[in-house]
Amino acid sequence: MAEIYFTKEHEWIKVEDNVGVVGITAYASEQLGDIVFVELPEEGIIAEIGKDIAVVESVKAASEVYSPVSGTIIKSNEDLNSTPEIVNEDPVGKGWFYEIKISNNDELSGLMSEEEYQKHIGD
Amino acid sequence: MSEAYWGLEQDLKTTPLYKIHNNSGAKLVPFAGFYLPIQYENGIIAEHNHTRSSASIFDVSHMGQIKISGPMIYDAMEKILPISFSKISPGQIKYTQFLNSEGKIIDDLMITRSFEEDHVWLVVNADCTDKDLDHLYNNLNKAYKIELIEDRALIALQGPNSSNILKTFFQEIDEMPFMTADWFNYDNEKFFISRCGYTGEDGFEISIKDRYAEKFISKLLQSEGVKLAGLGARNSLRMEAGLCLYGNDISSSVSPIEAGLAWSFSKERIENGGFIGHEHIKQDLDNGVQRKLVGIKPLGKLPAREGTQIFDKNEKTIGQITSGGYSPSLQAPIAMGYINSDSLKNNCEVLLNVRGNLIPAEIASLPFVEHKYFRGNK
Repeated sequence: MAEIYFTKEHEWIKVEDNVGVVGITAYASEQLGDIVFVELPEEGIIAEIGKDIAVVESVKAASEVYSPVSGTIIKSNEDLNSTPEIVNEDPVGKGWFYEIKISNNDELSGLMSEEEYQKHIGD
Repeated sequence: MSEAYWGLEQDLKTTPLYKIHNNSGAKLVPFAGFYLPIQYENGIIAEHNHTRSSASIFDVSHMGQIKISGPMIYDAMEKILPISFSKISPGQIKYTQFLNSEGKIIDDLMITRSFEEDHVWLVVNADCTDKDLDHLYNNLNKAYKIELIEDRALIALQGPNSSNILKTFFQEIDEMPFMTADWFNYDNEKFFISRCGYTGEDGFEISIKDRYAEKFISKLLQSEGVKLAGLGARNSLRMEAGLCLYGNDISSSVSPIEAGLAWSFSKERIENGGFIGHEHIKQDLDNGVQRKLVGIKPLGKLPAREGTQIFDKNEKTIGQITSGGYSPSLQAPIAMGYINSDSLKNNCEVLLNVRGNLIPAEIASLPFVEHKYFRGNK
């Protein structure tokens, strides 16, 4: 069963067997407005926890996406190259950004549960 | 994600349309000291496209409306502005700039020659209102009355259906040509309506008393084909129209000649002078300028924002982007920026340094999307 975690900076990660799928939350995609471009990391890139790994360009502005965990990028979502708007339409599903092989599972304990995240954005 | 848009705000003013914004799903952001909608529920792209295809209402009440009256008003204003009132008829609007003694831009503005012939009416940028007033006080003597109009909202109605919509309130309005203004009465209220705008479309700017703004806009919103649009769409529309934004494309370190605004100067005034900054403007025109504002089309999909460095093929910096983003009409990124005149002459290849990625780009003529102003029934 995949488990989902959240960061304060509005990324989510679904984890199963040391592999995480990362994206931005519905709250974030709504705040950004119409997304027109996503700059994704290439396969094989080493991601560091909390460091910028992707960029989302909305009509309004460019925002950096920080990796929720450290690890190696396995795959990025190529559908976003032609249809970046799926991040607005289905942010926690088809609008995922990249898959990452997690190097240190302990980092997950620093992330928020769904309930904690909802509380965080409710503030 | 980085915190571009989650900031909290304090001490901000609201406009008379605040309630309408809130009831219409507006995302309000701090802008020039006001809470203003960056977008409503449908989002920037939908609002942009609706403006190009039908008509949108923009709250631009943050902008400064200034009335100046006094004896020999045109002579006095010509000492400050590079325009010629002998070429401007009553009721006509001119786009112009306040210049400093270096010939650089203090602000850009619209000025209307009134039918009463005793005053001029100015609309200036919100962030520049205070320094504009200082500039006016410093350069007009006490015989002139300078009034900041603080009890009138300013609403832009923009798009091809604007005239048909407004005609249901003001019968004669569709005959007014672009860049003219007049007073109208409706429901015992006085409206000052200018046929102009900041989108490249036909449209109007409507100055109404604060107390009546909400009521009028609610009525306007009941017309078919009209929706609210926010600052986000206003920005993408003006970029497509190749119109400068003060603080981005023009500023107190930019000459209007560099910005391609020579067309807004009176030829006679350039020859004869007598306005602040004239010597420098004449020099810029006679000797040419070091850099010029151009349109830029990044190839591919990645938008290049303001501050992006422009390189030649040897990766030498030849300029900088001052406005950039996504064009909903072209469904592609567009930008405006300054490039060294020498590099432009050599028609050199252009690369944009977007976060270390070198993106090839084309120099494009402005506007990106054709203007559709109403020049009058002929």
